[in-house]
Amino acid sequence: MLSRLALRSELFRVAPVCASVVRTTQTKPEVACTNESIIVPGFPKPNGLPQPNPFDGPERDLVNFPRMVRLEEPAKTRYLFVPEEWFEVFYKKTGVTGPYVLAAGITTYVLSKEIWVVEHEFPYVLATIGLFYIGWKKFGASLANVLDKEIDEYEASCNASRKGEIDGLTESIENQKKEIWRTEAQKHVIQAKRENVAIQLEAIYRERALQAYNQVKRRLDYQLDLANLTRTVQQRHMVNWIIENVLKSLTNEQEKQSFKKCMVDLQALAAKA
Amino acid sequence: MAIGDYPAEYNPKVHGPYDPARFYGTPDTPFSQLKLGEVTEWVGRRNKSPKAIAGLFSRAYWRWSHKYVQPKRTTVAPLIHILAGSMLFFYTINYGKFVHHRNYKYH
Repeated sequence: MLSRLALRSELFRVAPVCASVVRTTQTKPEVACTNESIIVPGFPKPNGLPQPNPFDGPERDLVNFPRMVRLEEPAKTRYLFVPEEWFEVFYKKTGVTGPYVLAAGITTYVLSKEIWVVEHEFPYVLATIGLFYIGWKKFGASLANVLDKEIDEYEASCNASRKGEIDGLTESIENQKKEIWRTEAQKHVIQAKRENVAIQLEAIYRERALQAYNQVKRRLDYQLDLANLTRTVQQRHMVNWIIENVLKSLTNEQEKQSFKKCMVDLQALAAKA
Repeated sequence: MAIGDYPAEYNPKVHGPYDPARFYGTPDTPFSQLKLGEVTEWVGRRNKSPKAIAGLFSRAYWRWSHKYVQPKRTTVAPLIHILAGSMLFFYTINYGKFVHHRNYKYH
């Protein structure tokens, strides 16, 4: 029974985003459906879209209102807690001892007039100062080191993913540059290949030229030999033919006469010898 | 402008992210640069509404905080400031009781 009542009631209904359209009975005042951000007034809601940084508009005055930066070191202090500026104010007018004289003077005045009453709780002031002094002397440096290390580690862990990504991108840029540098070598490689091909072409050209020369020379030599041979053969034939015809034309009379002439010549030669 | 809102003078488009330590109105002459005769006039020019006074303390707190508490390698100074301040504060509010512990009648 109770569960049925609960189901019927408004409690268990899933409210639509801009309820006024769906709901018929208006129980609450309507929620304003403006598109203005409630976080940064004067700016539209992101509505899931990437928005430009609202603080980087053209009206932004970065000279008088620069971005806030977290300090690395706190402001300087003396004696652990007294701001350095206070001493600087005094330094211009009174020199180094001024603030100390003032502090001592005020303390003396306040004590002597019993404005600062020395009662049973007064030693706690001294005890607190002493405790801080001892703590500072004993643990100050080591504690500061430990905390500094811790905060450095924490900061490093916060920056680790971002730094890793930047390092990775830097490395890939370096690799790309190296690849560019390597591809530059391809120019030289292609040049070398071209030269190589040119040398091969030259070699083949020379080989063929030599071959042509040799062939021409062989043919010319053949022609020369042929011409020489023809001439020799013709000459020999002519000589044989002439001798044959001359011998054929000679008669016996002529032979006897020449023989006699030879004998006379021989006798003449023998007489001389 | 209700409680918890930014000051009326603050314009995020011009001023950027809100700095709680900063006064966004038109600045007057700093108190440290005044001549003695100008002090009453200067005080007369101040806005003395409770809201403005609360803003003054808020800015002072944030200035101190940015200077001593928020830095990365902060020291023990803010702790001592709080300690000394609270000692002074409680001494002041209990002053009426301490007065009875005076040892001398004439000073």
